[in-house]
Amino acid sequence: MIPEGTAPLPLLRVSTPSGERYDGVVDLEKVRAAHHALHTQRESLIADGNYAAALATLQMWRCVLYPGFPITPSTKWIETVAAKIAEHQPNIKRVKLLEAEHAVADYLAGAAAACRDLVFATATSSVGLDHMTETTRSLGASGLGNVLLIDVYRATANYPLCIEGDPSDTLAHRDDGFIQIACRGKQQIYDTLLQAPCLGMHPDILTPVMPGYYGIKDSHRNARLTVEPDHEIHAFQDRWIRPCPLPGLINGDTAFGNCTTSRWFQGFKIGQKKRMERALEVLPQIGADFERTFGRPGLAYFDAVGFGDDAPPDVAVVTMGPDFGTFEALRPAFEARTGLRAAGLALRLLSPFPREAVRRKLAGARVVLVLNQAHHQGRGHLTLDVADALFPLDQRPRLLSAFAGLGGADVSEATWEAMLDDARAALDGPPPPAYRFYHEGRRL
Amino acid sequence: MSGYKEIATRDSCFRPGSTLCPGCMEATAFQNVGRATDNGVKTIFTIGTSCAEVSTLAFPNVVAWGRGDAPPDDVTKSFSIIHNVFESAPTLAESVRDVADILEGAGALRTRVQVVSASGDGGALAIGLRSLLHTVHRRARITVMVLVNEIFANTGFQYSPATTPFAETSTTPVGPDVPGNLRAPLDYVHLAIAAGAELVAQVSPAHGKLFLKTVERALALPSGTAVIFVPAPCISGWKFDDGETVELALLGAQSGVFPAFVWERGKGGKVTDCAKEAAERPAIETFLVRQRRFHHLVRRDRETGQPVPVPGREADLARLREWTQRNVERLYALAELK
Repeated sequence: MIPEGTAPLPLLRVSTPSGERYDGVVDLEKVRAAHHALHTQRESLIADGNYAAALATLQMWRCVLYPGFPITPSTKWIETVAAKIAEHQPNIKRVKLLEAEHAVADYLAGAAAACRDLVFATATSSVGLDHMTETTRSLGASGLGNVLLIDVYRATANYPLCIEGDPSDTLAHRDDGFIQIACRGKQQIYDTLLQAPCLGMHPDILTPVMPGYYGIKDSHRNARLTVEPDHEIHAFQDRWIRPCPLPGLINGDTAFGNCTTSRWFQGFKIGQKKRMERALEVLPQIGADFERTFGRPGLAYFDAVGFGDDAPPDVAVVTMGPDFGTFEALRPAFEARTGLRAAGLALRLLSPFPREAVRRKLAGARVVLVLNQAHHQGRGHLTLDVADALFPLDQRPRLLSAFAGLGGADVSEATWEAMLDDARAALDGPPPPAYRFYHEGRRL
Repeated sequence: MSGYKEIATRDSCFRPGSTLCPGCMEATAFQNVGRATDNGVKTIFTIGTSCAEVSTLAFPNVVAWGRGDAPPDDVTKSFSIIHNVFESAPTLAESVRDVADILEGAGALRTRVQVVSASGDGGALAIGLRSLLHTVHRRARITVMVLVNEIFANTGFQYSPATTPFAETSTTPVGPDVPGNLRAPLDYVHLAIAAGAELVAQVSPAHGKLFLKTVERALALPSGTAVIFVPAPCISGWKFDDGETVELALLGAQSGVFPAFVWERGKGGKVTDCAKEAAERPAIETFLVRQRRFHHLVRRDRETGQPVPVPGREADLARLREWTQRNVERLYALAELK
């Protein structure tokens, strides 16, 4: 039996008719019983990010069908899934290699609608995600929270083509309707994947999740990874994931994807937005339960360093991804050299953007340096979100917008130092320009 | 196979209330397939964007699908449908099939499931050719229904890869030196066979018994994909008079424009109700003259009422006759394949 747990009961009401649900048509316990455990105890491995993401999905009993299409740097995700399934036969899990990313997205829609109590995951990158777009925007509005679309970040463009990690792909899809969570490091990738369906399939949220991590920097580099036993993962997920209250294609008499008029369309969109915003409340609860269960930090809006209770920082940094680690390493030396207090946020939750939490954290800082690692038509995706978050403050920090690491380039110590020096200069100097580019310690 | 009359008494999953044009062949096809699928197996439809979707699947207006006025108590009579973008219907159906098969393999599914995909020819043969052929190639155990009205009807009757030569469409308009569409249609029947389909048919409800028998064969296939191309005269796009849909579909088949054809892998196929020799078929003009999309080729003689070539278009008409003959011979040749 799926045990009773601590997950909150649904608060939001589904306001559209959704058809009939036939209980008992799908016996989920049989699916759970057919699961082949990969780990029966906690173990420590050396793994890259794609392996960590693949393993997390393989350990879920609800994840039985893996559609995919290869693209660098996400390819190893589907290869790992295929290899593990081939190793452990008989196995009800199956890989489905389709003919294009668009087909993968369509396939996800059909599969997730067929059985809303199973999880359907894929991984892609860059133009692969773009190729899915026609259907990702449908998925984002579909109520199919049992879709996991893992985005292994890579620059979105073929002119020029660059296969390294640059989050311009995920940032170009902020409006697709997915909950977008950025990870840094193999452990965070693994842990995020384990929690993601708990968030997406929450009955108040029912919104697909797009976890992501940097291509090459995290997808292809190895590090130590602690993996949990399958049965404990199941127990954790079962506390949060309950049978979907809405009918699926197989266990229902229902219709998905209907046409509607503008008058009604707006209501659907308001509902979609409410479900998305509910994720802001539920995400920390899941994260806290994960930490209690496994002893590691769970889902959070961001990773924060240097924010004390006594006084706000002089300089606060906001960015995402593994290059934040370089800032963490440099921070003490910067503080010692300048006598300033420095702090930083590595964003985890990109969509919905945690405006209030970011505002509370940055309130009182004198300068906020936002590092954007993706091409943007204006001051930077993250800069605009941070500016929006800070806008209600009476005393707004001075905002310094930087671009560095485009195309997955290294954001080196020298580059961080140059950006931090400019942040220090902005404390009392003239207003900074709208944005600056940096590379290897120089302004470009 | 079930009896024709018995099928006619079943509950169709296609309900009144659609906004399809009166006389639309798509509605007739859905009525028939809807009854054939009332066979004790849970039915799931997938549908790409098309006339057939926007006119039948609306909220809060009528959803013209489902059996009975309320969800049935018996799950095997229940009905589900999912719409997604133009090209997606075969892939959606394949994924539903795969999920059902996995659940069945685990002993977790307590009902059998049959999956039918519905697309228009624009959705399946233009933007969705990739999706169609690869789903067929992967031998998904589904029935794919392609409603061929030879145009993108939903968006305003534009040319599609299935448009008959010389037909006027909104993007192949007729002019003094341009006789409508100049391109021969894609050989989609052959493509489906070549991609690996288990059963391929071109048949409309105008051949009522053959249509239902073919749908039942398709649903009963133990493996592989069945692809049924349904010639679907479009009253608005082909521009013909009320009440002529079935007759026009019959004439189109008999005259060789879209002959009734059913083929099964390992068994070969058959062309029905369309002679190989042109002299033994109704003249193509009898089919053309009823539709204003061919107004530039054929008109009725004021005195005799018989179709006659429009002066100056005799050569175009001859070329259309030649294409029709090749079309018929091609299907007879395909019928020989095993």
